[in-house]
Amino acid sequence: MKVMVCLKQVPHQDARLDVNGDGTWIQEDNIKFEINSYDTYAVEEALKLKDAGSADEVIVVSIGPDRVTQALRTALGMGADRAIHVNDDAAAGTDALATAKILAAVAKEEGADLVFAGLMADDDNASAIPPMVAELLGFPSATGVVATDFSDASVKVERELEGGALEVVDLPKPCLIAIQSGANQVRYASLKGIMQAKKKPVDVKTLADLGVADSASAAQNKTTINKIYVPPKGDTAEILSGSTDEVVGQLVTKIKELGLL
Amino acid sequence: MGTVLVVAEIQNGAIREASYELVAAAQGIDGAEVNGLVIGSGVGELASEFASKGAGKTYVVDDAAAENYNVDVWSKAIKAAAEASGAELILIANTPTGWDVAPRIAAGLDCAFTSDCIKAGAGDGGYNFVRRVFNGKLDAEVSTSGRTVATMQPGAIAPFEGSSDGGAEAVSADLSAGAKFVEIKVAESTGVDLTKADVIVSGGRGVGDPEKFPEIIQPLADVLGGAMGASRPVVDAGWLDHPYQVGSSGQVVAPKLYIAAGISGAIQHLVGMKASNFIVAINKDPDAPIFEVADIGVVADLFDIVPALTEAVGAAKG
Ligand SMILES: Cc1cc2nc3c(=O)[nH]c(=O)nc-3n(C[C@H](O)[C@H](O)[C@H](O)COP(=O)(O)OP(=O)(O)OC[C@H]3O[C@@H](n4cnc5c(N)ncnc54)[C@H](O)[C@@H]3O)c2cc1C
Ligand SMILES: Nc1ncnc2c1ncn2[C@@H]1O[C@H](COP(=O)(O)O)[C@@H](O)[C@H]1O
Repeated sequence: MKVMVCLKQVPHQDARLDVNGDGTWIQEDNIKFEINSYDTYAVEEALKLKDAGSADEVIVVSIGPDRVTQALRTALGMGADRAIHVNDDAAAGTDALATAKILAAVAKEEGADLVFAGLMADDDNASAIPPMVAELLGFPSATGVVATDFSDASVKVERELEGGALEVVDLPKPCLIAIQSGANQVRYASLKGIMQAKKKPVDVKTLADLGVADSASAAQNKTTINKIYVPPKGDTAEILSGSTDEVVGQLVTKIKELGLL
Repeated sequence: MGTVLVVAEIQNGAIREASYELVAAAQGIDGAEVNGLVIGSGVGELASEFASKGAGKTYVVDDAAAENYNVDVWSKAIKAAAEASGAELILIANTPTGWDVAPRIAAGLDCAFTSDCIKAGAGDGGYNFVRRVFNGKLDAEVSTSGRTVATMQPGAIAPFEGSSDGGAEAVSADLSAGAKFVEIKVAESTGVDLTKADVIVSGGRGVGDPEKFPEIIQPLADVLGGAMGASRPVVDAGWLDHPYQVGSSGQVVAPKLYIAAGISGAIQHLVGMKASNFIVAINKDPDAPIFEVADIGVVADLFDIVPALTEAVGAAKG
């Protein structure tokens, strides 16, 4: 079974977010990037299948600029077999559907039997691309998956609903599974893994290589971000000021007023 | 501007409030004609109700195959209703159902898509939306061109409460499905019931280290006679068990006092605690979205404030 994992590199969770010059995205220079948190769980889910002997090959795929090599190397260090890096200026700033078309083209070319993705990207918070990839491939899909149980012809997944309820769904293979955070215990890349990863192949591809230059570039976007900004402060909190002792004193007074002391 | 198809979601036998929020969003779009869609089994009456409470002409896919949510059934039903209504905009609530199916519709119709919006309006050859990005830290203005599928964040706008003329109209679709619904598992009760606590002290990823929960967070909860809670990353990392999680996929709480330490305030956490009577947020980032729902904010290192507060409360109790 060939398993593909879609992973996105996003700004580090603690990176400083400043709006860029034209006000349409964040300033990406001089900040740290990392693998999208949800995607680390997706990589782990794929590697578990490899450990169990049911996946023959785990291929990690990412669309993005040069910096994305780092994220792919990390996934290779965790144990993925090879990587595909779609690196093309025409793919910079593609909307979700165009991005999904690129990923679907890779999945088709590879003949993936199973595609893993994260539930959501920590930067755009879209939760859009994985079901789109599935639709384009004609695969059944499930999102927000926290548990998987594989058999030969299908995979039984548990999807998270609201308030802790779970929905159990059986998906015939081939299928796509978008993983929710916490689904497993993500492994670290070991030193040995990182050394081995240096020898693993990272294929760099353009949109033309994938045959989607005319259908899936940013020029085809149907959705555009016009402006990005710090949300206007509405009815915001009263911010306490002073030394730690003064602040704590005010908090104790408040807690007394609430009748809780 | 064109027809807006509003997809209803049924929860516990009734159309959920988020669906009426979609109706309000659709009604608010200049010149839009609103249509509804109800999918399920034995849902004829609910479709009539939706039609008369704001959705207007309401398409209905009433089929045993739609008894439980199924991604393939829903995507085929919605695509069929989109064709029947000629809808230019299809609105779906951003719930576990919405985020599972909505992107598939956009890919199937090869049209524009945006998700988890807090505002929607007519645009130039498409629609305009406002949505949050970076887990609530920034807002984005998004525009689409042509036909559009969008999901709206539940709770972002008030539900429609008026009435409308319109009846239910059956729409037929091939509902064959690859995915098979097996069952719903409800959460087991575990004894940790945060909903009964008067005071909850929650720690987030900013607490940084599993040991700090018993060392710093729990003592403040104890001295206030309350309970300890947490944000999702703390539970995902295995630092605390799931019953401690507050939020949309954890417990929804409304204590007399909620103290959030090292929690940024992503929407999924906020929906679990924003109904609390009094909220104190401790975060070193002055722009953290948690301060928008807090009554009192402390912009400082939680490792300075929390232990000092524990001591001061202890001293005040004598
Ligand atoms: C479908 C779905 C369901 C979800 N359900 C839930 C849910 O039920 N509950 C939930 O909580 N989340 C949920 N999430 C996750 C949510 O989107 C956020 O990722 C999560 O709430 C962030 O947790 P956090 O605030 O602890 O971490 P972060 O967002 O990383 O914030 C950490 C904060 O700590 C602050 N900080 C760091 N160090 C210090 C210090 N020393 N002193 C003071 N402040 C400090 C930082 O400034 C930052 O604001 C869900 C997501 C999805 C997609
Ligand atoms: N540029 C990308 N390259 C590879 N996979 C991606 C990319 N963008 C998004 N994905 C995948 O789609 C998931 C959801 O992203 P989004 O729809 O943007 O919230 C991510 O968790 C990834 O698995």
